[in-house]
Formats: sequence, C-alpha cells, structure tokens
Amino acid sequence: MEILYNILTATIISGSLSIILVIAEYFFANYGDCKITVNNKKEIVVKGGGNLLNALAENKIFIPSACGGRGSCGFCKVKALDGAGPVLPTEKPYLSASELKDSIRLSCQIKVRQDIKIHIPEELFNIKKFKAKIVEIIDYTYDIKGITFQLLEPNTVDFKAGQYMQLETPKYEKSKQVISRAYSISSIPDIKDSIQLIIRRVPDGICTTWVHDYMKLGDIVNLVGPFGDFYIRDTEADIIYVAGGSGKAPIKSMIEHFAKYQSTRKMTYFFGARTTKDLYLTEEFQEYEKTMPDFTYVPVLSAPSPDDGWTGKTGFIPPYFKDYIRDPLNTEAYLCGSPGMIAAVEKELINLGVAKDKIYFDSF
Amino acid sequence: MKLSPEEKRIMDKMQPGILTVDGFLGNDTRNLHEILQEDAETIEAYGYTAEDIGKRMRYFTERSKEAYEEPILIDQKYLVQQDIWRGKVVCPFPHKGLYTKADIHLKNIENNIEISWTPLNIHFIEEHGFFEGKGSKHRIDPETIIKALF
Ligand SMILES: Cc1cc2nc3c(=O)[nH]c(=O)nc-3n(C[C@H](O)[C@H](O)[C@H](O)COP(=O)(O)OP(=O)(O)OC[C@H]3O[C@@H](n4cnc5c(N)ncnc54)[C@H](O)[C@@H]3O)c2cc1C
Ligand code: FES
Ligand SMILES: [Zn+2]
Repeated sequence: MEILYNILTATIISGSLSIILVIAEYFFANYGDCKITVNNKKEIVVKGGGNLLNALAENKIFIPSACGGRGSCGFCKVKALDGAGPVLPTEKPYLSASELKDSIRLSCQIKVRQDIKIHIPEELFNIKKFKAKIVEIIDYTYDIKGITFQLLEPNTVDFKAGQYMQLETPKYEKSKQVISRAYSISSIPDIKDSIQLIIRRVPDGICTTWVHDYMKLGDIVNLVGPFGDFYIRDTEADIIYVAGGSGKAPIKSMIEHFAKYQSTRKMTYFFGARTTKDLYLTEEFQEYEKTMPDFTYVPVLSAPSPDDGWTGKTGFIPPYFKDYIRDPLNTEAYLCGSPGMIAAVEKELINLGVAKDKIYFDSF
Repeated sequence: MKLSPEEKRIMDKMQPGILTVDGFLGNDTRNLHEILQEDAETIEAYGYTAEDIGKRMRYFTERSKEAYEEPILIDQKYLVQQDIWRGKVVCPFPHKGLYTKADIHLKNIENNIEISWTPLNIHFIEEHGFFEGKGSKHRIDPETIIKALF
C-alpha cells in the first residue's frame, strides 16, 4: 500500500519542476556525437540524447528486452563501465545489491549524453534484427497458427533447433506501440532463408490478437534473435520429449532436424492435449516414425469427449514413461510446458533413474 | 487532487495498448488513488484485507494446478479450472517482477458466484490493493470476490 501514500503525497511543485526540465532538455540539450565502446573492442558513434538500448539496436547490437524499453521487464541489463550517469529510481527495483555494486544497469534507462563504455555477454554479438515477409499462414487448430516468415534482410539465419526469436508486432488498432514477444522457431536450422513460428492465441493478448485477427500474407515484420539455451545437446543418448500446445514448436524443429538426417536415435515424443480438437501435425509426426525407425509419437489426451472416438492414450503423461525408457542413465529429456507440468514430468523421470542434469526444459 | 508524476506514469502504463490490449482502468474516470481508496474501503467494510483476498486467490490458483488445466473440485465447494498460457506479463507499477499469463476460473457451487482472475490480479491485490478500474475486463469486483471465496 506504500504506493498509495506516495501518490497521495504528490506535490504540484515536483510536477511542474519535471515539466520545466523536460522542456529545457527539449530546447537546450544538444549532446552532440557520443562514442559507445562495447567490450573494449567495438566502438560506435551515435547522436546523444537517446537511450542506450535503442542506440545499440540502431547499431545492430541487440540486448534482450521483454518490454520494448519501457523499464518494466528488467531484461536489458548491461555492465556500464563509464559515462552512464547515476542509477535512476526507475532502475533500482530491478537491480540487486550485488548488481549495483557490479555497475549493472538497465540499458533502456541510460541516456546517452557523453561517451560511454559498457560490457555485454559475447553471444549477444550474434543476434540480428531481420526484416521478414509473411509468406504462409496455416491454421493448425482453432487457436494455433503456423506462420512462415521469409527473411528479407539479412536473408539468412543461423540458429540451433530449440532457440527462439522475438517477433515485433507493429502498431495496430489495439496496440499503440511496437511490442515484441518471444516465439520458438519451429522450422529446421537447415532452412536458412525462412523460419516458421507456431503461435497460440492468448485471450486478450496484445501480440496474439494481432497474429490471429489482423496479420495477413505479405505483411512485413521484424524478428530479432536467435536467443536461448534450450537446444539439443550433441550426444547419442535416447531422448524423451514432452510438450503440448504451442510447446510443440521447438520440439518440431528438433525432431524434423533429426528426421532430415534419418537419425537412428531412440526418441519418444509425448504430445499432451485436452481433446482431439487440440491435436495437430499428427500425420507429419507419424510419418517421422517411418523415416526414423526408433522414433515414436505418443499423443495423450487428458479430456477426450465421447464424440472424439479416441482410442489412443489418455490421462496424465508421466505414468507412460516407464514403457518407453530402456536405459535411464543414457536418456535425456526435452520438455516445454507450464512449470507444474515440468515439475511433474521431472519428478517421474528422476524416479525412473534419469539424471536431473540431463533434463532440459523451456518453461512457460 | 492533482496527479503526482509517479501516479501519472503508472496510469499512462495502464492505458489500453501499452502493456495489455485493454489496459487496466476500463472506462473508469477516477484517478488511480481514488480507485485504490474506494476499493480499500469496500473490503474493509466486509472485514477483510487485500492480503486475505490475495492469499485465498493464491490458494485456489496453486491447488488447481494439480489438475493440469482440467476442472477440479476444491474443498467440496469450489470448482476451479486454470488455463496456462506461455510467457509472462509485467506490472505497470514500478518494480521488478513478471507474472505468468494464465486465466483461473472459479465457481462457488453453493451460491453459484463465478469469477475469473489472472496471476497478475493476485499480485495487484496483494501488493498494491489494486482491483483494476471499473469496466476493465479483468476487474475483480471486491464484493463479488469476497462472496465467491469466503
Ligand atoms: C522463450 C519463450 C518462447 C515462447 N515461444 C512461444 C511459442 O513458440 N508459441 C507461442 O504461442 N507462445 C510462445 N511464447 C509466449 C509468447 O512470448 C507470448 O507471451 C504469448 O504469445 C502471449 O503474448 P500476448 O502479447 O498475446 O499476451 P499479453 O498481452 O502480453 O498477455 C496477455 C495476458 O496478460 C494478462 N492480462 C492481460 N490483461 C490483464 C488485465 N487487465 N489484468 C490482469 N491480467 C491481464 C492475462 O494473463 C493474459 O493472459 C514464448 C515465450 C517465451 C518466454
Ligand atoms: S527493456 Fe525492459 S526494462 Fe529495459
Ligand atoms: Zn506490481
């Protein structure tokens, strides 16, 4: 309730003062060119006055962001070595004591007013912004679409099966600004000139409403990525996959990749859904059972209706694992779902002897 | 009363199309502090606190996870079902934190009162005493939720 008191103790003076400062900054501030040095190796020159997150993005260095620079996600952290000015009140809630001590800052809140030196993780240099055209939209179910984006500029991408991109939704009737949301890539890494995303409608979701109700073929959008460390480890172990709904996206990329190379690894994919209405790409995955002799696709319905005529597996997925795991010590698992689902699956896999550190997941 | 810069910043973030499609204020013409104040008075009149309500919402949210998105009867009186979406949403108040995108639907089968909320609503109520503005699709009417949950 502290906020209520803060609000009630507002003074007209502070309001007027900040207006004067904004006006003064607009008319008088001219910061000229400022140099940003990144990791002591890359130097970029920008016109002063904007925020660091945008200045870096304009120069093709993409810092993760889930709120588009509005200071509300805390994702855009960088180490500011010099020239970033004092920590703002808007940043403090997102920074721990050790981060503050370590000069970690929110790049979207730092104004570039002078030369700045920063440090960022090396892998961020590989992230690119792609201009892309929507070339295919498939209705997989009543609330899931598969969308293919042809990459225009740059026109190829390198990623690992399981990684994700940030899709920028343009301003539209229901969104006053460009927003970006993460989506796992569902196509395979060998296809370099386009990517597919699988997007489930979230009721009243700002991005998914655009995707499901407004987006059309030929639209041009921006994608930023690839991000993420949910990808297939380079081993020969057996694999258990568990994912339902839109969680199928990264698993599709992984399994299609194996299918392309006719993998002989023993792999089982448990796809969880409520009713037959929620099943999709079933024939395609059954087809992979033919290309890959040791691959099994196991759809499991939690609430089939009598009209479904469903004769397959029903109920919860974990009790079925024991029939498909032949050597727990040589088994890895890749899971994509809600934290509750992941916890239940992880518990059963560990019970059966699968090592905890061989269970990889992308939690909702 | 004039808005403080902080209240204005928060209300700006609560507008439609900024953090969420419909925003958090609905068609309420009151300022944020007035919304907070009036709802605080309502729940006080019923003898509850925002923390009590938040705790109860959290209880049903956690219990319904046991059913993995299927309906579950809790304490023989509450039929609860939860849809869990992917991703997390931020709070318009200035602080760190991300809240799961999910919809929890509860029906009190004794009095037939139905109510839905999201994890962000629980946080709003527990931490900010905020039930959202009138006309907001996700407004949790204090009176209704008290009747549904207690
Ligand atoms: C790494 C990663 C990978 C992902 N991959 C995929 C993928 O492959 N496919 C996919 O479909 N999704 C994926 N997602 C999820 C995706 O990023 C989005 O979060 C999702 O599509 C919803 O976005 P949205 O903008 O439509 O919803 P938003 O508008 O951001 O959020 C809607 C939610 O906000 C809450 N809310 C809205 N308004 C209010 C209110 N007034 N009061 C209270 N609560 C409210 C509700 O919970 C509602 O469900 C992924 C997420 C991550 C982090
Ligand atoms: S981009 Fe979200 S806080 Fe900076
Ligand atoms: Zn909050």
